[in-house]
Amino acid sequence: MIEAHDLTKRYGTKLAVDGISFTVQPGRVTGFLGPNGAGKSTTMRMIVGLDKPTHGSVTVNGKRYAEHHSPLTQVGALLEAKAVHTGRSARNHLRAIAATHGIGDKRVNEVISMTGLDTVAKRRVGGFSLGMGQRLGIAAALVGDPQTLILDEPVNGLDPEGVLWVRNLVKYLAASEGRTIFLSSHLMSEMAVTADHLIVIGRGKIIADGPVDSVIAQATRATVRVRSPQATDLAARLAGPAVTVTPAEDGLLEIHGATAVEVGEIAAKHGFVLHELTPMSGSLEEAYMSLTSESVEYHSAALPGEESAPHGAHAATAAPTTGEDAR
Amino acid sequence: MSTAVATEPHRHATAEKPYRLSFAHLLRGEWIKFWSVRSTIWTLGVFLVATVGLVVLISLAYVNAPSPEQGGPPDASDALGPLMFAVTLGQLAVAVLGALTITSEYTTGMIRSSLTAAPKRLPVLWSKAIVLVVAVFGAALVAVAAGTALQSLFFDSKGLSVDFSDPDMIRPLVGTAVYLATIALFSFALGALMRHSAAAIATVLGLLLVAPILFGSIPWKPLTYMFPFLPGVAGQQLTQTDAQLEVAAASSPIGADLTAWQGYGVLVLWVVVVLGVAAILLKKRDA
Repeated sequence: MIEAHDLTKRYGTKLAVDGISFTVQPGRVTGFLGPNGAGKSTTMRMIVGLDKPTHGSVTVNGKRYAEHHSPLTQVGALLEAKAVHTGRSARNHLRAIAATHGIGDKRVNEVISMTGLDTVAKRRVGGFSLGMGQRLGIAAALVGDPQTLILDEPVNGLDPEGVLWVRNLVKYLAASEGRTIFLSSHLMSEMAVTADHLIVIGRGKIIADGPVDSVIAQATRATVRVRSPQATDLAARLAGPAVTVTPAEDGLLEIHGATAVEVGEIAAKHGFVLHELTPMSGSLEEAYMSLTSESVEYHSAALPGEESAPHGAHAATAAPTTGEDAR
Repeated sequence: MSTAVATEPHRHATAEKPYRLSFAHLLRGEWIKFWSVRSTIWTLGVFLVATVGLVVLISLAYVNAPSPEQGGPPDASDALGPLMFAVTLGQLAVAVLGALTITSEYTTGMIRSSLTAAPKRLPVLWSKAIVLVVAVFGAALVAVAAGTALQSLFFDSKGLSVDFSDPDMIRPLVGTAVYLATIALFSFALGALMRHSAAAIATVLGLLLVAPILFGSIPWKPLTYMFPFLPGVAGQQLTQTDAQLEVAAASSPIGADLTAWQGYGVLVLWVVVVLGVAAILLKKRDA
């Protein structure tokens, strides 16, 4: 289990990670999703102590990573940039890492076979393709048979067979062996089929944290946004068994389960004044884009069943449309 | 968070695993790393060939040189002379090796793997240093033994052989290996501080080769006073016999009179300061 509390990292004047708190639970694959530069890699580097947090803390199984007696059996990490001496053979690289924990060549050969590196294990790493380098990084992460696996963009450069292998491996380790898997990617499609739980980060802040289904549902469900000076009365009028109304801020409602046409007609029938009526829906890709771009308000809504509420809502007002179904 | 902790499954118990990070294991890992890159083989190979070869070549030049009365070099009768010359050049190879041992990890990103495996960081620095010192000391002993043995074999008849039975000779001979290992460590410390191969190698070569020439030839008092305390100049005191040191002290323009071990102590002080700063920064900086 990984627990981050108010984790902050500042490089000079740039705030790479901005006071994030989250928990990565064992027994499931947690996806860490966000655009490039959102702070994914920095967060992962802080977990294994390569970067020092400017503020806040992060622990693995209750202790700071460096305080574990046997770090590599606690956490196996594949981090973004290559971390291999290019002049050394793959096998010697793994042997050297394994030796620091008294792990013998038997386990080294095991992970070489597991990651499909048998034929190239004696070659120098400098000549490896991106995919081979990635497999070696995964082999190094697995060598300590760790309780927690942190993989930064693991499918980068892998062929389809490799992508499938990583997907099945992490699912197996989480579901069957109860291990903690923390996986970053900027590919929503890959996450959708691999992860059980999603943490979405953008510009150093967490914008969504919940089960994959609910994050996707939340982000892709057709939503209608209504702004009205009589919001409370309108909400009472709209609410029904199939319709949920969430008051977002003063005078603003988010409605799920009703179309803009229906909302507009109900409002007209009862003489409510509307200042805004916006239908919102999107594909998976669009949902991700809107989740990760600060100008959209999705991040203001808390996900059901989650204790960690996303950050302060500052909804940008979209251009008001009235009456008509914009679709 | 306590409720979450309670629900954590414990099916995968790490406590049962024998794997454990320890300093002995770290040494083993660094030993594998040290010998599994080509730069080690190259630099140690060049060091051995150059040192042993130069001892033989310079000995050859010595025995063929005219006597001092006829305008030859004054120290042509000095049996340790060829080794000292050879070491002055051979030390460059071990200096390069020392710097590369740590800077190559930074330039390739390997350091992130190393520090993830040993997140307390400082043990990585110490174990690397120990492996380097042991390996260079061993190689230097071999070079000194091979060079002086060949010198005795070829030039004994010309009166230019090292007298191994002379106890005064043992300290400079072993001292040469100690000096070379310490120079490798000094270069390693600079590499750990600078994290950049070219910068570290340039700095150590500057201090070992260029600085003595500059400090010795520029007639400016402060430089003259600093000259005996340059790392290479001070450390090489250990490679000389007491008799040689007395001659050198007598000709010193500032009356510098460091014993062999005092001179070596100055070099060790350089190492301690640079390595100490490097250690503090390793602990503080992001990797």
